[in-house]
Amino acid sequence: MSAIEARGLRKVYRSRLGGRSVEALTGIDLRVEPGEVFGLLGPNGAGKTTTVKILLGLTHATAGEASIFGIPVGDPESRRRVGYLPEGHRFPGYLTARQTLAIFGRMSGVARADLRHRIPKLLDRVRLADWADVRVKKFSKGMTQRLGLAAALVHEPDVLLLDEPTDGVDPVGRREIRDLLQEEAGKGRAILLNSHLLSEVELICGRVAVLAKGSVAAEGQIQDLTAATSHYKLVASGVDDALLGELRETGASVERVNGHFDLTARDVAHLNALVDRLRARGASLLELTPLRSSLEDVFVELVSPSVTDAGTRGRGDAEKEN
Amino acid sequence: MRALTASIEEVFREAAARWTLIAYFTLSSLFILIFALAVNLDVVNGALAGAKLFGQAVEMGDRSIDIDRLVLGFESGFSGFLYLVGTFLALFATAHLVPRLQEKGTVDLYLSRPVGRVALLLSRYCGGMLLAAANLVYLIGSIWLIIIWKTHVVHARFLLGGLTILFTIAVLLAFAFLVGVVTSSTGVSLMATYAVFFLAAMLSAHNRIAAAVSAEWAAKLVNGLYWVFPKTAELGRAAVEQVSGGRAFRHVAVAQDLFAIYGSTALFGLAALAFSCWLFSRKDF
Repeated sequence: MSAIEARGLRKVYRSRLGGRSVEALTGIDLRVEPGEVFGLLGPNGAGKTTTVKILLGLTHATAGEASIFGIPVGDPESRRRVGYLPEGHRFPGYLTARQTLAIFGRMSGVARADLRHRIPKLLDRVRLADWADVRVKKFSKGMTQRLGLAAALVHEPDVLLLDEPTDGVDPVGRREIRDLLQEEAGKGRAILLNSHLLSEVELICGRVAVLAKGSVAAEGQIQDLTAATSHYKLVASGVDDALLGELRETGASVERVNGHFDLTARDVAHLNALVDRLRARGASLLELTPLRSSLEDVFVELVSPSVTDAGTRGRGDAEKEN
Repeated sequence: MRALTASIEEVFREAAARWTLIAYFTLSSLFILIFALAVNLDVVNGALAGAKLFGQAVEMGDRSIDIDRLVLGFESGFSGFLYLVGTFLALFATAHLVPRLQEKGTVDLYLSRPVGRVALLLSRYCGGMLLAAANLVYLIGSIWLIIIWKTHVVHARFLLGGLTILFTIAVLLAFAFLVGVVTSSTGVSLMATYAVFFLAAMLSAHNRIAAAVSAEWAAKLVNGLYWVFPKTAELGRAAVEQVSGGRAFRHVAVAQDLFAIYGSTALFGLAALAFSCWLFSRKDF
């Protein structure tokens, strides 16, 4: 059974005074399996937070259905196995870290006796053990974020929904959070990560979905989305301008960049023909490396206005193209 | 159940942290202390032979005052005072419960737990009521014990007045919750609830107002509003009547009146609470 499943989620925010309605989600399908770290990406207003809020029952979907381990998200029981870290969360400032975890742990149905053992371990895990009895209002942004993570984990959920979990956290803290999330995923927990930090997502997530204008623009494994394309790094000696001109005449794109060449070929046959031409003209081939796109490249390509205006790519299109 | 007790506990922690609980109890304690220290009565054979207020002898002449009547008079008056002040203080200390819950960044933390929205809202309502009840019990109970200590007169009826006060707080807090769910504003909740309190009190004279207005529809509106709104003035009188045993006012409410007063007021509160639950459960956050 999938940890998270959403089918045809649609959300329209209607204006109270009969003004223009906004369609935040146009029909989203998602599936996250246990043990998987899934990244939800997209520009501001793409529908990421709305999706997460629907999964938590904070917002009601206009159409479609979603479930957590088969329990519809409208049922509060679906949240018993969910830990959530909202973006910009505000824990009551008058509570200490220990009290915060105790209250939210009990609200998740954990017995006091269990919490007595669990809370010190959790605080230690997020490096807040020394701050256990300090009021939350004294905490820095990073500390609040780490406390939020502890609160999301206090009832040992099977699903984690995290909205910008490393927001405001220093680089060391980020690495610790990454390690912690990978550890949790290793225990079989499903993690849905909503983040703008693509480098973080690239390091943590196995699979991602890119949302644009309320729909899934692309979805797949990160290595598939960033797979090698027809771009190559070419290092060769004995290449003069005349030879570059000849290569370009075949339809290849060749640019000199910092002592090497960025080469774009139509396909593998074209690439081999270019290499043959280089050798025939006495050039020595020193290195030919396929270039992978970064997740950022893929993201920018998918959400740039020219792409999204032309219509978003359907689910799985990214894999098909590779 | 764990979730609900945690939510109620949080209401108390919040009240303590925001000084409302401490201020609430400090003011009550101050009043109790002044009362305990200031009043000294000399009772002989069930009659007041002498009295001292703040250490000064009170001139009584040759009159002998029945201590039972005196205590009853004081208790009745105090109930009326407490009805107004206790209700207002309780609302002041609890009206923020819904607006604060609905704050951005806070509501997600609560609603993402496996607790139904209606249960969450009602747990905060219960927390607010327990807070108000704790203070009422403390204030009325302490004054009652001091009266017994000073006069040896025991009127269990004095405690009954607290029930009517608590009932009024329950109804008005339900309305404050409704306004809080709609507006997410503590200030608006308080103002709207106090406005209902006073408007409803004015409507107790609905017969005279209806007779004074020229249009028939206006008279019907006034009478209709009277039955819709809580009977705040009548409840105040009822609190005093309960304590005085019907001796405070000439008009003694008959059972029929009481049913109408308490019943229609309870309906107002129940409707407000039910509507706020319905709205809260439908809201997108």
